[in-house]
Amino acid sequence: MINIEQVNKVFRLPHDRKTTLRQRFVSIFQKNTYERFYALRDINLNIKQGEFVGVIGKNGSGKSTLLKIMARVLEPTSGRISINANVAPFLELGVGFQGDSTVKDNIFLYGALLGMSRKEIVAKYNWIINFSGLERFVDAKLKNLSSGMQVRLAFSITVIVESPILLVDEVLAVGDIDFQQKCYDSFESFKKKGRTIVFVSHDLGSIERFCDRAILLKEGSVSAEGHPKEVLTTYKND
Amino acid sequence: MPTQPYIKDYKQDISSGRKNYIYLTLVMAITDFRVKYDNSALGYLWSLIKPLLMFGTLYLVFSVFIRWDVENYKLHLLLGIILWNFMAEVTQNSMVLLEGKAPIIKKIYFPRWIIIIASSLTSLLTLFLNIIVFFFFFIFSDPPFSTSALLLGLYLIELYVFSVGVALLLSALYPKFRDIHHIWEVFIQLGFWVTPIIYPISTVPQKYHTLIFCNPMARIIQGSRQAIIGPPGDFTGFTSHVIIISVASVFFLAGLTLFNKLAPSFAEDL
Repeated sequence: MINIEQVNKVFRLPHDRKTTLRQRFVSIFQKNTYERFYALRDINLNIKQGEFVGVIGKNGSGKSTLLKIMARVLEPTSGRISINANVAPFLELGVGFQGDSTVKDNIFLYGALLGMSRKEIVAKYNWIINFSGLERFVDAKLKNLSSGMQVRLAFSITVIVESPILLVDEVLAVGDIDFQQKCYDSFESFKKKGRTIVFVSHDLGSIERFCDRAILLKEGSVSAEGHPKEVLTTYKND
Repeated sequence: MPTQPYIKDYKQDISSGRKNYIYLTLVMAITDFRVKYDNSALGYLWSLIKPLLMFGTLYLVFSVFIRWDVENYKLHLLLGIILWNFMAEVTQNSMVLLEGKAPIIKKIYFPRWIIIIASSLTSLLTLFLNIIVFFFFFIFSDPPFSTSALLLGLYLIELYVFSVGVALLLSALYPKFRDIHHIWEVFIQLGFWVTPIIYPISTVPQKYHTLIFCNPMARIIQGSRQAIIGPPGDFTGFTSHVIIISVASVFFLAGLTLFNKLAPSFAEDL
């Protein structure tokens, strides 16, 4: 379903960043120096349909970069990636929201961004409102909602996208207990429906609870892979 | 750095994704339009008031203070301003909106040209409203309606293709060279004066005409004036359209190619 072969992602970290023509012009005779930073190094990964894969690792180990490459937001510097189904990315809290628009408008915008048609969104509109618990705020501006409410809304929309693959990046940390429970319930139902989920989290408990397989990233490379319990032990001992 | 080519193989484009891109474009255009005029008392009316105020000022200066000897000068002026403003708005907004959408670009994949097309649709709506206002003025003026006015449709298509082409070109370069925004602002100012918008072309010495009409905007504006307001002239002819269409297509294709080439790195550069 997701097949990643020898993927590298290199970021150039300039010693002196030049983004304007003036800077380029002034420094035209200076040598352009930059460091290469390997965010991902020779990643090989094969994720099958219906698998629930957890990605763990310290800050800066490349977890989010990996997810962004799967979501097609970033291009790998080299390597090959093939994904043969529609992907719903849920990479950060309420990204794609327009603060100045109402909750209602945002549902349609965000839904469309995730590839839904107007028909689909209309059909599931009430469900989204109920699931996120925002019945009273439909016509409120999004920027006036609390961050927790925004995340709930974003998650509710992502949940209904019927894409076979779901990418989730550390989102459960924000919701309250009730909402976390809702999320876990929907994860269970995704698993039953055979959707493929790649899940990045620092919450080791939920990794162990849901994932069929865990991947430990360290400085951009896969340092351990396999049964969540074993990988978590490696991670803790590191 | 590894030189191995990167092979893309995403099936999502051919499955459910593509058919909903049109809907995404529309939703994006509508939200942009709503946000733009939100919190302003006169709301959408501003898109009509702005060109009219500009028209009023220029009309005062060039028709009352300085007098051009042109029949129906005010119609010439208004039409010129409306068409020029559309091009200026589409090209400048494309860069602003790309910047504004940076958080989304960094997190969700969707074809990036949707942003540019959505913003052009918003301006297109303004253009149509302005054209209606123009015809309102037209009815209360002398020139009789002639069938050649229907050519305006063709000019608008040419104008749209040209403007979107330039917008794609500019916004493709924008994430890497932010200066382009400022350069373009100056260029728009400059262009406004080298295009016969406020002054009649007859005031310009003949030897500069070839140079002035290299500019497709000058041809579009002059041509649509001749078609609607009259008197009829060369710029409604076949050759002029061929020139405009070829220039517009070159800009459009170059813009699209460059944009598609650079779009994958927008998430890193913005």
